[in-house]
Amino acid sequence: MDQKRLLDSGKYISELTDRINYIADIKGGIEWGSLRDLLDRVQAVRKKMFDLQEDELFVELDQVDRRLEFLEDQVAQDLSPIETVNIVRSPQRFTLQDILENCYDSYTELGGEGECNIDPAVVVARATITRRVKNKLYYHQVMVIGHEKGFGEEFRNGGCAKPWGNEKALRYMKVAEIEGIPIHSYIFTPGAYPVEDYPGAAQQIARNLFRMSRITVPIVAFVSEGGSGGAEAMGLADLRLMASRGYYSVISPEGAAAIEGRIKEGGKVPRELVEHCADQLKMTAEDNLRLKTIDRIIEEPPLGARRGDFKFFRRLRYEMVKATDEVVLETKSFRMFRSYALKRQSQERSNGFHDEFDIHIKWSLTDSEKKRLIELRSRKYRAMGKGYKELRQSIGSRLSEAVETVRQNYYDIRYGLLRQHSRQVQKLIEEVSSEGSVFLKTVTEPVRATYDFVLPKPKVTNGINQQDIFRRSIFMQDWEQYISPLANEDKTVSCPNSEKYGCRDLWVPDLYGEFCGVCPTCGHHFPLEYQWYLENLFDPGSVREFNNHIISANPLKFQGFDEKLKKAIKRTGRRSAIITFDASVFDIKIVVAMLYSDFRSGTVGSAEGEKFIRACDRARVTRRPFLAYIHTTGGIRIHEGTLGVIQMPRCTLVVREYIDSGGLYIVVYDNNSYAGPVASFLGCSSYQVGIRSSRIGFAGPRVIRETTGADVPPDYHSAKNALKRGHIQGIWDRREFRKNLFEALMTMGGPHLYYK
Amino acid sequence: MEINLKDLLKKYKSHPYEDHEIKTAHTGIVHLNVEDGQEVSGPTGRWKHRPGTLLYVLEREGNPKRITSMYTGFVTGLRKELDSNFVQAGVPVMVIRHSLNKDEIIDRILREVLYVFPAPQRARYFFTPEVAAAMEKEGANILNIKDGDEIVIMSLMKRDTLLSYLGPPGVLYKVYFRHGDLIEQGAPLLGICSPERLPFVERMIQRIRTEWDD
Amino acid sequence: MKRDKIIIANRGEIAIRIMGACRQLGLDYVVVYTEEDRDSGHVKTAAAEKGNDAVFRIANYKDPNEIFAVADYCGATAVHPGYGFFSEDFRFARRAAIRNRPIAFIGPRWEVIRDLGSKINTKRIAKSLNIPVIPGSDEPIYSEIEAEALAEELFQKQRDDGIRRPSILVKASAGGGGMGIEEVTRLDVFRQVYRRIQNYAKRQFGDEGVLIEQCMKGYHHLEVQLLCSRHKEVVHFGTRNCTIQSTGRQKRIEVAPGFDPEYVAYPFDAYRVLEQIVNYSIRLAREVEYDNVGTWEWIVTRDGRPYLLEVNTRIQVENEVSACISRISKHKRPVNLIREQIRTALGEKLRYSQKHIFFDGTSIELRIVAEDVKRGFAPWCGTITRFEFPEEPWLRVYTHVPRDVAYEIPTEYDPNLALAIVWGQDSEEAKARARQFLSRTIIEGVDSLGQPIVTNLGYLYERVNDILRFV
Repeated sequence: MDQKRLLDSGKYISELTDRINYIADIKGGIEWGSLRDLLDRVQAVRKKMFDLQEDELFVELDQVDRRLEFLEDQVAQDLSPIETVNIVRSPQRFTLQDILENCYDSYTELGGEGECNIDPAVVVARATITRRVKNKLYYHQVMVIGHEKGFGEEFRNGGCAKPWGNEKALRYMKVAEIEGIPIHSYIFTPGAYPVEDYPGAAQQIARNLFRMSRITVPIVAFVSEGGSGGAEAMGLADLRLMASRGYYSVISPEGAAAIEGRIKEGGKVPRELVEHCADQLKMTAEDNLRLKTIDRIIEEPPLGARRGDFKFFRRLRYEMVKATDEVVLETKSFRMFRSYALKRQSQERSNGFHDEFDIHIKWSLTDSEKKRLIELRSRKYRAMGKGYKELRQSIGSRLSEAVETVRQNYYDIRYGLLRQHSRQVQKLIEEVSSEGSVFLKTVTEPVRATYDFVLPKPKVTNGINQQDIFRRSIFMQDWEQYISPLANEDKTVSCPNSEKYGCRDLWVPDLYGEFCGVCPTCGHHFPLEYQWYLENLFDPGSVREFNNHIISANPLKFQGFDEKLKKAIKRTGRRSAIITFDASVFDIKIVVAMLYSDFRSGTVGSAEGEKFIRACDRARVTRRPFLAYIHTTGGIRIHEGTLGVIQMPRCTLVVREYIDSGGLYIVVYDNNSYAGPVASFLGCSSYQVGIRSSRIGFAGPRVIRETTGADVPPDYHSAKNALKRGHIQGIWDRREFRKNLFEALMTMGGPHLYYK
Repeated sequence: MEINLKDLLKKYKSHPYEDHEIKTAHTGIVHLNVEDGQEVSGPTGRWKHRPGTLLYVLEREGNPKRITSMYTGFVTGLRKELDSNFVQAGVPVMVIRHSLNKDEIIDRILREVLYVFPAPQRARYFFTPEVAAAMEKEGANILNIKDGDEIVIMSLMKRDTLLSYLGPPGVLYKVYFRHGDLIEQGAPLLGICSPERLPFVERMIQRIRTEWDD
Repeated sequence: MKRDKIIIANRGEIAIRIMGACRQLGLDYVVVYTEEDRDSGHVKTAAAEKGNDAVFRIANYKDPNEIFAVADYCGATAVHPGYGFFSEDFRFARRAAIRNRPIAFIGPRWEVIRDLGSKINTKRIAKSLNIPVIPGSDEPIYSEIEAEALAEELFQKQRDDGIRRPSILVKASAGGGGMGIEEVTRLDVFRQVYRRIQNYAKRQFGDEGVLIEQCMKGYHHLEVQLLCSRHKEVVHFGTRNCTIQSTGRQKRIEVAPGFDPEYVAYPFDAYRVLEQIVNYSIRLAREVEYDNVGTWEWIVTRDGRPYLLEVNTRIQVENEVSACISRISKHKRPVNLIREQIRTALGEKLRYSQKHIFFDGTSIELRIVAEDVKRGFAPWCGTITRFEFPEEPWLRVYTHVPRDVAYEIPTEYDPNLALAIVWGQDSEEAKARARQFLSRTIIEGVDSLGQPIVTNLGYLYERVNDILRFV
């Protein structure tokens, strides 16, 4: 056999081995089909390579090849969601390095290189991408950011960005903004690395989202592996593309299976359950396109693109340029966009894709185009993730909507004028507006009665009559009427700090009544139900709930979730995990969104996101401070898949609009606040406060142990540590919540409570 | 003071455990959860945050308090007759016999060999900044101290007092507290070894390490 | 009532006195004790009288859960808190009343304890009943302008009253026990002091409310002893004078009655003042429907103006000075106020009224304490080797110090050694007997440095001369 043939056969063998292993990766093991046998045959050929006749050798290998082709077709024809996940996780899949090498003409890595890097899991590069127009080359500068999974490179941490990695990404996004070049972001992450060290996993993602929501250059995102919050840190984009064999999910199928199956830590998660969850989570590209959480799919070869699929990279380059064009053109005049769109259509009709463009489009934007870009971005996200249901509204609520319109006009006139005119005009307007408010009152008053909401009244369980405990005395304020139903039992409980501070056992009626659930010795806060806050935080009778008709649903038809939802509804008498309402604190009118624990652990899905957004908009329109009181949130509701995840950028964008228009946004965390919401629309607030004994963080201790392999101290997520790390601005005592809130409104809000 | 290491080791070999009497912290009804002879474990985890074996439940005023073991060992002298009965405060319920491991044996023997300077008050203790810095740099058992040296700060009722060392001069061989720990009155604070005895002590520890099987 | 069983939630001398009252009433009782008090007199007495089943070791006297757990276990139907500990803890009383198995709290209703437990609130109620209170604010002040106006008013009032050196006190409303109080003698420094106290209050208590009141000087401290039943009966057992106190405001000598014009001359009608404070006290008691023993504390100035200070909703250490001079016509013996307290708390009627109560003679209580009066009443620690005092029909001595063996004063409690109550036909005789008692009492002991014991016997001997007088 001549030397060349020998070389070819070597390549042939290793290619076949790779293909066998690849199928094994997808199918979850070498035992599937006849893989083991094929591998043995290839190995046998390799061993006998120098002894065999050339023909014999190639005949054998060709046979294996044909057999493999058959198997590959079989796998591709019936690819299950978990197999898609396996494709993404295969070491043979392309990574960001391959994209940088193949889709871009030149690039310079920024903020570190390889292992010498603040976070090797995040790669940032200033790159050049070319466009061919009729045999002429045009160069575009872009900022590429993304995750590098670096298969075989331990230090890449599998593409799990550390908080400082996300911070690096954001830093260079700002550079792109200064330089006016578009951002191409590539998402290859199973999730963010859940450590709280500064700048903090959740807090940094929130910062990224908040800043990306108003970055004035086009952002195009491409998702291969979209692991929940980690993906969002770079995923907020004007156009979101997804690899046809990628996955984009709220949680890993294993994680979901552990939760669904209530598997104990370290326990074995059944394979069937993992497969089932992968299916239920609707994480494939088609699913996500259908759910409108992505804009389009980039076709890969049937079994997914691998490192050497140059055709795929050519296609990806074309798609990235085209997508950037589209984003840029959207900001331009209507006619120009139309003509471009028509051309594109004719192209696609002819044959799949070209890599040649008809025209050259510059990617820089004028100031007005930048403004439009931001507006379009908001509009885009507002239209996403609507997996909630709307109940038919009663006449009352429809009337209230009419009132809302009147109100909006009123406020537009009032504040629109105020902003433009001088002090004298202001005075005049104030006189006029007092008349206006009289008018407004007559419209709203009769409506109120119908949309007042009724609290589930605490049940008195046994012997103790609370009237006896709180016979009115001069020490009580008028509003101190509500008693926690927890107080109705003659028993004692131990304070968790008793060993440290010698706290005595507390008698429950004292603890949950007079002591407001606070240990008088050490100040530990026992959890109290959300109703307590409704009754004690706001001026009596000032709470007016709205948007009650938006309710949680099961948009993914997640098996078994309907029952869970029903149970939650029965338990709470409510239909979503958020309550949004108008209220006042010492006569300061505010809008409040409250996530509470009783309903699916305060998890955020489409209904919660929508209600939050509407509350935030209401605060913007009525020019009132906006309070997010987080009684508890367990993160994004996994049963809504990416429809839940998308609430993160979605709500953050709306918060951004509110803050940019001059709003005062205060977030108060209580009990447990974790994951997605903290890593987005809560964490982005400039004013975040924790109630004593609350825990704030990204992932719970178990997830941290399972992902990082290291244990965390029991007080890792405590409010005190969150304060130390700079994640929150203060810790409030529950008993002083009302007073502190008032003071915060006065000091941060100033006399007009709306500081622009 | 002459130490017969052989006798000491013999003593610990014949009785290689410590007994901890478990008494009720307050009144209430006892519900036993262990059997005589049962093995129990103390708190675990890096921060000792996972409680040990549940020994019994002490129920008072509707509050069933879980009493878990602070020691690893086995249960002896269980008073079964207390089960499901009301008991007063300070009543012995059982004894946990804890087998000493090598490090604990060394620790116990050291306490007999070293001059132990006890905590004069129930208070928090710190090293003076200079001493702390020196120890950081050169390691703990390098420090020579003599009578009257002020190396420890006692913090009592938020008042800091410099503590004068009283005792024979020597090398600070062992520190029995961590920076800022609350130490009971009379509990050991520092273990001091005279320079001439130092080789002997080192040899002794070496010997225990080799002779003792866990 | 005969079926009631009392749990005595206290220690020492008062526990023994409560046991005595129970014995008189034929009531069953149990006592509690802590490990340190294992050999204490109250444990020994109870065990001897009721057996070992009537004594319970608990973790802590101050843990209400222990008291209720023992009460339920032994079937107690009532709890006597003594003084200190739970005696003025309205939460304890409330829990006793509303728990699933209620037990009677031997003291006033919890609402009364709560509402009179606050000096500010007491002042407010008193004001509404035209009972004189120390001039000043009756609720926390938050505004500087308001505060300054009030300060000016108080200075003016004092000048009008002919007070030569007027002064006012500025206090943190949430404070207590002498913390955050400053005296102001000139109006022009008021604002400065006000701000200082306000800042202190805000820092220390998280509430910047400030109280302002006239600073009283050279007054007498009087008390009115009331007894009320659950059936709206109110009687008084006269007044007592507790002016002689240590620098730390600890009472040292108490005398009943509160003033004695036959013994010293006063520049005002002393009988009238006594009658006034008794009547005012009763007026307040009726208003709040007070229903047990209680002490109304008064300040009486040199010119005979009374001001209500506060109400103590418990039995007091010195209750027996009043009891000693009180007779109920039917019984010839002095009244036992603890016994009456238990009776009324368990719902009995008084079975007598004010007209059946007579007063006879003068009584003096002397508190013998191991303290160095020359050095700011510093407590003395050591071992008592000899303790002797005379026995007389006109004398009663309560002490936990054994006379047969040496006794080391425990360091965790105040070094109170004994309580002596002396009775005389008139103040002169009572005083003479008190001095006689003091001169014949012998206390010997040494401290750890071999120094002899220091007591306040000499101080008491001197100060007995000052009783009932404005000096």
